[in-house]
Amino acid sequence: MIVGEQKPFEKVYESVKEYKKVLILGCGTCVTVCMAGGEKEVGILASTIRLANKQNGIRMEIQEATVARQCDREFFDEVKDKINWADAVLSMACGVGVQFCSEVFEGKRVLPALNTRFYGTTEQQGIWSERCAGCGDCVLDKFGGICPIARCSKSLLNGPCGGSQDGKCEVDPDNIDCAWQLIYDRMKLLGCLENLEENQVIKDWSAGRDGGPGKIVREDMVL
Amino acid sequence: MAKKKSELIVLCCENSAYLAAESLTDTKIMQSVKVVMLPCSGRVEVGLILKFLENGAAGVLVLGCPLDNCKFVRGNYRAQKRVDVAMKALNDAGVNKDKVKIDFISSLDTHKFIALVKEMKSTLF
Repeated sequence: MIVGEQKPFEKVYESVKEYKKVLILGCGTCVTVCMAGGEKEVGILASTIRLANKQNGIRMEIQEATVARQCDREFFDEVKDKINWADAVLSMACGVGVQFCSEVFEGKRVLPALNTRFYGTTEQQGIWSERCAGCGDCVLDKFGGICPIARCSKSLLNGPCGGSQDGKCEVDPDNIDCAWQLIYDRMKLLGCLENLEENQVIKDWSAGRDGGPGKIVREDMVL
Repeated sequence: MAKKKSELIVLCCENSAYLAAESLTDTKIMQSVKVVMLPCSGRVEVGLILKFLENGAAGVLVLGCPLDNCKFVRGNYRAQKRVDVAMKALNDAGVNKDKVKIDFISSLDTHKFIALVKEMKSTLF
């Protein structure tokens, strides 16, 4: 899933306080799971803004809504009246949702309430960590299902650097495991340690950010 | 949800603080106080606390079981963390964060319940 976290309140408040009618729009998929922009978080942010408005003598009408996904057009249908009502939409979706909402409702001010961080997993409730960098050329088959692009701080493909100590990464030994230690341990467990002797050629980055924004067209699916 | 501005909302765990409140003989202290029973203090949500305040409650007092004595093991620790988050949100909004407080009492601590409510009321009203 896409993992995000809320922007500092003062930044969010600064961006919306000039508007008289604000819709706070949550997203019911990734950011609900990572507890950053779902229905519950919409309620908390709305209450905080209302309390701040009372303190600052600002008159603002706030409505709250959450759609299943802000990255698919059809889910906006149920909230289009609320969006049209609002002077500004404070989107609690990832960057994709914010942009798509703005695209679907051209001319409507759509503001982000979250910072989108990474593609990640829920390690346990309240802890999320990165697993994929979206490089467009998956190499997980070669490394026992552990991605050196996303999980090695230097994205190294041919073994660890000198900063790997006791299974930890020199970038932040308290919080980051050395991806290459993880890869070594996993390959050993899988009984295919010898595969790591194969030298990896320079990665083809053209499938990733190279060449501008990504786009996939499936002719068989296009209507 | 609170309607009057003058109300102190006391969110009580049904296993401890609520029983302590039920044992009150002198109910004078309970004027302008609304007790809400929760199955565990860990059921407290940040949004619920803020909603009470947004709707005009003077303050919210969360009372859970003594630490390490929760029927659901860590409910009171969770409540503490959520109260901390609510206090941060109040701080962000420029509201006095002392409008929210958490404490931990047993079902026998009616005297502590009275003291905590009195203290909170004296801060708020």
